[in-house]
Amino acid sequence: MRQYRELRPTLEKLSEDAYGKMRQALSEQGIYVTAIEHRVKSEKSLAGKLELKGAKYKSINDITDLVGMRVITFYTDEVDKVAAIAKRIFDIDWSESVDKRKLHQLDSFGYNSLHYICRLKTGGPRFELQMRTALQHVWSTIEHDTGYKGIVKMPKEYLRQFSRLAGMLELVDDEFSRLRMVLTDYRRQIQTLVKSGHLNEVPLSTDTFRSFLETHPFDRLNRRIAAVNQAEIYPAPMIVYLPVLESFGLETLGDVHQFIDDNSDDAYQLAVSQLAITDLDILSSSAALQYLCLVYVLKHDGGRDELKAIYDTINGESDANGMVADLMLGQAQTLSFMQRSKSDGK
Amino acid sequence: MMKTTIQEIDGNMVATLEGILDTAAAPETAKAMEPLNDVEGKDIIIDCTKLEYISSSGLRIFLDVLQHVEDKGGHVYIKGLTDDVRAVFAITGFINLFEFK
Repeated sequence: MRQYRELRPTLEKLSEDAYGKMRQALSEQGIYVTAIEHRVKSEKSLAGKLELKGAKYKSINDITDLVGMRVITFYTDEVDKVAAIAKRIFDIDWSESVDKRKLHQLDSFGYNSLHYICRLKTGGPRFELQMRTALQHVWSTIEHDTGYKGIVKMPKEYLRQFSRLAGMLELVDDEFSRLRMVLTDYRRQIQTLVKSGHLNEVPLSTDTFRSFLETHPFDRLNRRIAAVNQAEIYPAPMIVYLPVLESFGLETLGDVHQFIDDNSDDAYQLAVSQLAITDLDILSSSAALQYLCLVYVLKHDGGRDELKAIYDTINGESDANGMVADLMLGQAQTLSFMQRSKSDGK
Repeated sequence: MMKTTIQEIDGNMVATLEGILDTAAAPETAKAMEPLNDVEGKDIIIDCTKLEYISSSGLRIFLDVLQHVEDKGGHVYIKGLTDDVRAVFAITGFINLFEFK
């Protein structure tokens, strides 16, 4: 214990350094994890370990988990990515490192985790790095809490229950990974369709609308509107308008494209009628989409209630939205598209 | 004339704006609002009940506060907008960027 106390400041520094290196490397690789935990083993915990397994250790250097770090990932394939990073940034002691994921009997499940015993490239004491998914972490925590590996031998029927649960978690983990791969593939396909202009084949959804927004479909109209007051365009999220577009019955990105084509000139008219009488020289990047939606409603015989519904959708339901609807409706009355709508209706 | 007061009420930081926030008043108001940029772990309420007018420079102050607070995971709420000020938020398309109380 005396050796441990002397070594403690070195261990604290090692814990921080190892954590810093791992965090930086994950960030550089763009890997988002659930958590990175790190700690120096407490004196109490070390005393407990020495009481149980003291004979096994000749010196304090034989204890490899005085410093421990744990990286908890979202998906199973990311455990391997973290392991690859660990191999690059640390020296691994292969004689003591264990891939417990491969230790299972064919007919058993349970504790899945990858453990490396590492050393900083600059030398110093060894430390333990555990890598596991969030679900493996859940399993491990519950296993620990229930005393599954305790001194009292557990009856077979309970062991079987544990195995069934562990198997289920492993299956769920794999299914999540598989689902992510399928979704990534789907997104790539959609992005290809959007880029190649085959918009009629792409159903309108949160994912596809996001991909569509990456092609900046509203930039042209925004720039036209902004030019009226030489306004700066300030970036703002547009995804909140998706439910509004869906409420118009637009089903594909092709429909959205057509909606922009059909209404841009009139949306420009409405925006100019509002902005030209002000000296406002800043504009949200969602302004074009807002005016397109307003114009669409007005051209489809919508009135105050339908305009208010747009604001209720993007901004939360409120009586104050009625005032904004009145403002837009009042300004629109004088515009040519409204006159056209009236004469078309006759 | 513009008057800006910042105080903590019920665990939130409340900035009360009174007067006309035009281009001339913007630098002083921006300075008065600066402490909000350092707020962590609290929501921010901008009380506009007595704000009679807002210019583009005023909008930029609001957007600046929003950016700082959102970077720290907080929320900015706007309370008590008059019709004239609400109209500016709507015309410029910023109406969905803020949460209104």
